[in-house]
Amino acid sequence: MHDFENVTNNIGDITFMLKLFNYDKPNVYQLSDEQTAIKVNNLNLSFGEKPVLRDINLRIPKHQITAFIGQSGCGKSTLLGCFNRMNELATDCKVSGEVFINKRNINSKKENVSRLRASVGMVFQKPNPFPMNIYDNVSYGLRLQGLKERRKMDDAVERALVDAALWEEVKDRLFEPASILSGGQQQRLVIARALALEPEILLLDEPTSALDPLTTLIIEELMVELKKRCTVIIVTHNMQQASRVSDYTAFMHQGEVVEFSDSDTLFTMPQKKKTEDYITGRYG
Amino acid sequence: MFKWLPASKNHSFIVNLCAFCTTLLLLVLLSLLAFVFTKGSGYFLSPPVYQVSYKDDNGKQHIVFAQFPSGYSENFSGRVTASTENTIYQAQLPLHSRQISNIEKRSDVANISLIDGRKLFAVPQHIRSSKDLKVSLSELDKYLNIIDDIREEIDEIKQNELTEIDKILASVDKSSPSINPIQQSALLKYQSLQKTIAELENKRDTFSLNMADVKGESIAIVLADIHSISFPSNMTWIGKIKHAFNLLWLFLSENPKQSNTAGGIFPALFGTVVMVLLMTLIVAPFGVLSAVYIHEYAPNNLLVTAMRVCISNMAAVPAIVYGVFGLGFLVYVVGGNIDALFFSDALPAPTMGAPSIFWASVTMALLTLPVVIVATDEGLNRVPQGLRKGSYALGATKSETIWYTVLPIASPSIITGIILAIARAAGEVAPLMLLGAVRFAPQLPVDSEFPFVHLERQFMHLGVFIYDGAFSTQINPQGASMMFATCSLLLLVVLFLNIVAVTLRARLRERYQ
Amino acid sequence: MKSIAFNTHISAKFNIELENLRHSVMTMGGELEKQMVDTLYAIRHNHAGLAEQVILNDIKINSMEIQIDEECMRIIAKRHPTASDLRLVMTVSKTTADIERMGDEIERIAKLVTKNKLPHSEDIKSSMANIGDRVIHMMRGTFDAFARQDDDSALEVYDSDNIIDSEYKKLLTHIAAEMKKNTGDMEDWLEVLWALRSLERIGDRCKNICEYVVYLARGSDVRHVPLETLTRKIDEMGK
Repeated sequence: MHDFENVTNNIGDITFMLKLFNYDKPNVYQLSDEQTAIKVNNLNLSFGEKPVLRDINLRIPKHQITAFIGQSGCGKSTLLGCFNRMNELATDCKVSGEVFINKRNINSKKENVSRLRASVGMVFQKPNPFPMNIYDNVSYGLRLQGLKERRKMDDAVERALVDAALWEEVKDRLFEPASILSGGQQQRLVIARALALEPEILLLDEPTSALDPLTTLIIEELMVELKKRCTVIIVTHNMQQASRVSDYTAFMHQGEVVEFSDSDTLFTMPQKKKTEDYITGRYG
Repeated sequence: MFKWLPASKNHSFIVNLCAFCTTLLLLVLLSLLAFVFTKGSGYFLSPPVYQVSYKDDNGKQHIVFAQFPSGYSENFSGRVTASTENTIYQAQLPLHSRQISNIEKRSDVANISLIDGRKLFAVPQHIRSSKDLKVSLSELDKYLNIIDDIREEIDEIKQNELTEIDKILASVDKSSPSINPIQQSALLKYQSLQKTIAELENKRDTFSLNMADVKGESIAIVLADIHSISFPSNMTWIGKIKHAFNLLWLFLSENPKQSNTAGGIFPALFGTVVMVLLMTLIVAPFGVLSAVYIHEYAPNNLLVTAMRVCISNMAAVPAIVYGVFGLGFLVYVVGGNIDALFFSDALPAPTMGAPSIFWASVTMALLTLPVVIVATDEGLNRVPQGLRKGSYALGATKSETIWYTVLPIASPSIITGIILAIARAAGEVAPLMLLGAVRFAPQLPVDSEFPFVHLERQFMHLGVFIYDGAFSTQINPQGASMMFATCSLLLLVVLFLNIVAVTLRARLRERYQ
Repeated sequence: MKSIAFNTHISAKFNIELENLRHSVMTMGGELEKQMVDTLYAIRHNHAGLAEQVILNDIKINSMEIQIDEECMRIIAKRHPTASDLRLVMTVSKTTADIERMGDEIERIAKLVTKNKLPHSEDIKSSMANIGDRVIHMMRGTFDAFARQDDDSALEVYDSDNIIDSEYKKLLTHIAAEMKKNTGDMEDWLEVLWALRSLERIGDRCKNICEYVVYLARGSDVRHVPLETLTRKIDEMGK
């Protein structure tokens, strides 16, 4: 009897042991509405006659980093643009289907696009600070929102710069032109610009492809920090980057989401042949 | 391309050709500038005055007071400014050094300019005040001051008191025989003031300057008619420079005299500036807004492309065509209709239906609109797409993006376009001659009279002034140096505008890089 | 180069992952050490229950190996470690394999107790326990060296295997003599020999881990190299 007790105790230990590395993540196909930041239903998109996205259905988890990978022209950037309706800037763009953010279908005609874009920040491939000083760059969005009070603005600018891990570097030269900053700093400035509006979702379209590897790591680390306050979605050509930073990864091919799962699984045991071929560099 | 030439030779040949062309261009430019500025500076220099005895072509002996354009030299040949035995007033005289039999520098000869713009060389002797009282020349400044005081007094009376009384008297009803007491007293006051003025004027005119002309005969000129007296032969360097600046100031600030051959060019300069400013006010918003529409909003179809081509071609239409259009359509049709609608009580005298500074500005704006549109369009083209996207991504609408991001970045190009437009407008003469630029305008387009800006007035313009001067110098050589001085001024104005433009553009570029 | 800081990456998460990985190896080592101590106790006191527990506990070690291996693979796939990071991950992967084998060896020794095949001779039993103590000592030294990535102490531990080997040989001759006297229960003797061999193998595996530690700290592979050459090599590198 005594020995048996010991043994069962040890089995208890074993279950404890199994949790040594806890990377359990909810399955992307079984997310509850509370865990979902963006829900995409039957999304189709075409530029002119050319279909770019076909029948996309997915849920993007809240407060996680989701990466979209795939070849050039597979539609990943276009999909990103669907989340803040940036695709509309192209005149021949036709969208059908629904994209829900906060239970609102943002593709509906009633949606206020300016408000949507303010709550869904976007950062682009090339750092694109406005030709103004650093302070004006960060406060640009706030001024558009009609914020006039100088003190509130100062606070918001400082908070955004701190969150973008740039405050220490620029606090003494807030009123110098943004063009004096280095590429990585500029990209963080652009992120701060988006953060100043306190977005729920931050879209990053190849945010580091113009930067050197070390700066890239700094931005990646920033993303990991940022996921505490907003959902981060990143499009990247760099699979290593996707594997490094993302919690979830979707592999896209010719306008379709081939595989979408947590990054650990996708990069160690992909379920689909196409994904395997792409991430292992077997093209074809 | 140049295969028939051996490689090395063809290289050096092309280089030499290019260098030759560049040098030629440079020489032409430099000689133009040198010519205009030397000729123009003659208007402000005061070389010494000589007493010259010479024989004319008929062998007749003359004595004159002459001023050589850039000092006397041994083999001079050209025109001198001189007062002769026939007329004491200065005139241009062709002279060659071999005709000269005797030459002597006269430090006592004064260059006297009169209020009416005429000048004369003479030897001042003494001042005569009332009752033949002779005063020595050293008191000259004192008397000039006295006269200035009297003149000011008269002006003050005329401006302050007479205008008041004029208003009261203007209200007198001619048909009714009775005059009310206020008018009565005003009338009396008016008469007394008139008397005072007459007295003051008499007092002023009692002073006169006696001087000897070249023949030694004494002439008296009322001191009040004299504008300034200088002794060119007697001046130190500093004095000469002072005098030159004095003349420059008069040149810039005074009205033209003696039918645009003497005095200053202030109204022309002022008219040019006002016209250009007005034109800028019209062309800048129109040009920028239409370029923004074409570039940002208009659909990218055949019509817009055709429009772009048309706009580019509009820049090549001869200016006189715009002038004719402005006169025929804007002035007579549009202006005439405005008159019929708003100023019908003044008809048949036209208000807007006549050539004026407003229509000149509008026509110049039309003329320069393509320049602004093309420059702005190009500037907008150069704004990176990424910046627009960045702005949209922060929730900006299209107009907010254009206003806050696109236009500031395009501003250097816009400024370039506006500057090009200004430069073109400042130099254009032909259409202006049809549209209200005149030889002499009695009133400035902007003055202290309500409503201060008089768009319906005619105006003077530097370009037209030079054009006019260039014709009149063929008859009247006196205006030549004045015309060249005006040319120099025009060049300087253009240079100034360019420097301002380049600095402004550099600043903006630095700011919005 | 002597001490490599694994917590200075830009990515804080990567730091944590590597730190966790190292800790997991230490935990696994600790678990192994406990198994060994328990086994020795069971041998000394002929405690079959404890031996049974040791055998059951081996599942734990096996599952840890799988977990750590998975984590290593995950780190390689996601983090693309290079240089010292890569060496660490590879070392950890190999070390866990060796630890798991050691666990198997311990299981075999423990089975001696559960099958009641312990040699009757107290002499042999205590010699066995003594070798076991040395092995435990060596194990501790190994994991200590691993924890500190200390190649010097790793070499010391490496050296101490010689003593175990010689004692093992001594005990073998002793047992051979006993076997001749007592040929009746040959099967039991074989079990004892197997267990003894396992004990010796544990020492060898500790040696392997020491080699990995040197590789981790110095970046140079010292497997299959005589000790003298190895020491010289390390001295050269130290300069």
